[in-house]
Amino acid sequence: MKNIGSFIAVFLYSGLIFIPLFLALNRLIMVTGFYPSIWFNSLENNYISQDILQFTLFQAIFSTIVTLMIGIPIAWMLGRYRWPLESLIRTVLTLPFVIPSIIAAMGILTIIGPHGINIRADEDTWWWTLIIAHAWFNMALVIRFCEPILTTLDPSLEEQLRLLPNGQTRISRFRYLWAPLLVPSITAAACMTFVFSFTSFALVRWITVGNESLESMMATISSSAGIEGYMEFTSEMVLGASIIQFLILLISLWITSIIQRNRKSKIPQVNTKFVKTKNSMGWLIIVPALIFALLPIISVFLGSFRIREPVENEIIFRWSFDAWVVAWRGSNSFPPLTDALINSIGYAIITLCVSLPIGFSLASTISKLEENHKFLSQVLDVFTMLPFALSAAMVGLGVLLGIIKLDIGFLHNFWPLPALAHIMLTVPFVVRIFLPAIRSLDPMYDENAKVLGLKPWKRFFSVKLPLLKSSLIISTIFTLAMSLGEFGASFVVARNSDWVTLPLLIDSWRSKPMKDPFTGPASNVVATVLMLITIILFLFAERYRTNKEGGMF
Amino acid sequence: MYKEIKKSVKKRIKESIVIGLFLMMSLSGCISEDESKELVIATYDIYGLSEEMIEEFENQTGISVSMIKLDDAGSVLDYLIKNKGTNDIDLAIGLDNTYLSTAIQQGVLTNHTASNLGEISQVALGPYNGQLAVPFDMGYVCLNYDNNLVDGKNMSVPTSLWDLTEEEWRGKVVIPSPQTSSPGRAFMLATMDYFTSETDRSDTSQFESWWSAMKNNDVIITSGWTEAYEMYYSGGYGETTEGYIGSAHITVSYCHSPGVEAWYSGSNITKSSSLDIPMASFFQVEYISSVMGGDVESSALFIEYLLSEEVNSKMPEQNQMYSVLEGNDLPETSGYLFHSIIPEQPSNLSMSEIGDNIESWLQLWNSAMI
Repeated sequence: MKNIGSFIAVFLYSGLIFIPLFLALNRLIMVTGFYPSIWFNSLENNYISQDILQFTLFQAIFSTIVTLMIGIPIAWMLGRYRWPLESLIRTVLTLPFVIPSIIAAMGILTIIGPHGINIRADEDTWWWTLIIAHAWFNMALVIRFCEPILTTLDPSLEEQLRLLPNGQTRISRFRYLWAPLLVPSITAAACMTFVFSFTSFALVRWITVGNESLESMMATISSSAGIEGYMEFTSEMVLGASIIQFLILLISLWITSIIQRNRKSKIPQVNTKFVKTKNSMGWLIIVPALIFALLPIISVFLGSFRIREPVENEIIFRWSFDAWVVAWRGSNSFPPLTDALINSIGYAIITLCVSLPIGFSLASTISKLEENHKFLSQVLDVFTMLPFALSAAMVGLGVLLGIIKLDIGFLHNFWPLPALAHIMLTVPFVVRIFLPAIRSLDPMYDENAKVLGLKPWKRFFSVKLPLLKSSLIISTIFTLAMSLGEFGASFVVARNSDWVTLPLLIDSWRSKPMKDPFTGPASNVVATVLMLITIILFLFAERYRTNKEGGMF
Repeated sequence: MYKEIKKSVKKRIKESIVIGLFLMMSLSGCISEDESKELVIATYDIYGLSEEMIEEFENQTGISVSMIKLDDAGSVLDYLIKNKGTNDIDLAIGLDNTYLSTAIQQGVLTNHTASNLGEISQVALGPYNGQLAVPFDMGYVCLNYDNNLVDGKNMSVPTSLWDLTEEEWRGKVVIPSPQTSSPGRAFMLATMDYFTSETDRSDTSQFESWWSAMKNNDVIITSGWTEAYEMYYSGGYGETTEGYIGSAHITVSYCHSPGVEAWYSGSNITKSSSLDIPMASFFQVEYISSVMGGDVESSALFIEYLLSEEVNSKMPEQNQMYSVLEGNDLPETSGYLFHSIIPEQPSNLSMSEIGDNIESWLQLWNSAMI
């Protein structure tokens, strides 16, 4: 019975993830022919995609460096010193990572706009704005990866080192103690930051107008890809870009996984309260960091009430709820906010109902196989991680070109379809959240329940599930939040349909000519609604986050 | 303890059933077919199709309208081709004469059966006069310049496209990309005629040289009209919006865009003018078409409605384009007509010529720009 469950989970997962991608790939190759060199050359041979790889790569590298420069001092301050309202500070500083990127884009545009720091008109600032936006988004990764080591390392180690010739200066102590300890965590955080910056879409689309990343280019040209005898160069570009992107992401994730595996050090750990000391100077880092984390969020909120009004030759701003009314009602061009809200919630619930059982079953299967079939478990482990190397636009293209084409008449009207893309993106995360928790379950509980005569389903609900409560809640919230804020795949699948979601509505409002004074404010209204939902979910998840090993979740 | 667990399990089962029912209801709601007639229109965000206008049509005919809003005319064509055979779309609104021949070649349109149409002007029927598409608005695409700066003193007014390749214009011209924008595509076609009409298109070297020279002169290429006009063009309303840069003093827009600027200002004021360089403008007509496999009868009713005097005569105010009906012009209010020009000698490319060559011309443009 159990094996059937595992088999179904593996079968469903393989089908859900790989069939759309296989079909889409097949379709694209059918259009272009199997000429990989033409696919790769098409990127340099087309004006839209020329220099795109360099841009994507360089911005990702710079974003990673700047994220580390901002994130490491913050992680150090949080990890080594005591702060009043520490949990709140940590929550605020890690909040940006869960805020959907389209909201970050809106917040940052408001900050750099004419009534913010007013640098938007200078194109030379766009590149650095993007880099800093990526740093804002990813600094939580550095904190999450580094803080656990910093908070638990026995301070006596550093004291002992002071007595040795190699530990007398701050630099030498850093070199011989901290660097070897922190480098694996920093590298893992750097790899993940690189991956997220490399596949950045909403921020690139809105901040560096005119420059595309591989991801944003694929999403933009997706509407004409996969059609025989029509704009075939777009299919070549999609193939070239996806393969390059897949390989680069795969290498980055492979490095991360190697580092993660070797990270478990045997250094003595102590309780946090013995490690942390006071540091009044540290506020010089913590306060700017808090402002940095909160500013785009506050800007989105305030921006939803600020309406531009030209009076003769001057532009003034007034404060009102008008944009809320406009966004709520919708307009000739856009559906009401409630429509997008209902769609988004619907997709999030479907995603949850499918991703959670499949992800849980896969994690259980991997854990079970580890006992007797180590090799099989490793294969399944890697298999469930593979989709991390797929970007949102690639998944969206899989659904658009692979699945919709299966029965275009039916699927074209099949409202739940965008949820398939969300499921493809969330299942691997659910597996990663459940796996450590299932591995750490003591089998004795289950054995005892078995001896007491409890049936399998009763053992599952009465014993196993309560023990996995935290992981269950975190994965539920993570799946909901990820689906609600998902932009790239939805942009490809649902942009040209009635299935508008909240992130798509934000993008659509912002794309409207600015002649309409509500263009900016209404996009901020939708962003505020999505942001509030995300923050509530995040705060709820924080209560249950017990994973102090570091990582993204 | 056991009771509590039992209670919680029961509660969870109930919740699951509720969620399941909700899902089934929402799915069945989406899949089940509505008994009332529905007209599905693939279009982009055309302001002329206002909410009031759609409601009026629904009230008059009892047919409910469902709009699929796409990005632009190119996306409408992509969408029609991708959904060919679904029989789900009844009407396409917004394909212009740069896309129409491709749509016809791809077999996504069908003959309309509308009969009760207003009198469409011969000018509007110039590019296409068949049963597969009916024009509903029109306008000329040409270069617009900021007459505050391009006044003959600070900067000279260009009289030839080659002038724009001079040092004076380095980085000061913005053009939407012909690969992703309809006005950009229309302007590229105008330049094709401008540089190749004498050789009957047999020699495209001047076309390529000009675009290469423009690239070397740091022409700004944007993905769409909005970015070009709002963000970069110094002569338009963009300066009152967020994200305005204003580094370009010439852009591609409509020859009546200065009129729209003046009309919007409400006081006959604009600093934008149209540049009438012979053969450097393009006559663009937008069409409404019945889609293959769709409901032709309901489509015909909408075509008749859009082409009625009452609705189509409002195109200048509602859609900022010319009406296609005979005897209609732009309104004179606030300088709308006064600041709008009709180019004396627009480019002359037939629709079939565009259809046959558009992909290869786009490739030529692409090669010149990389």
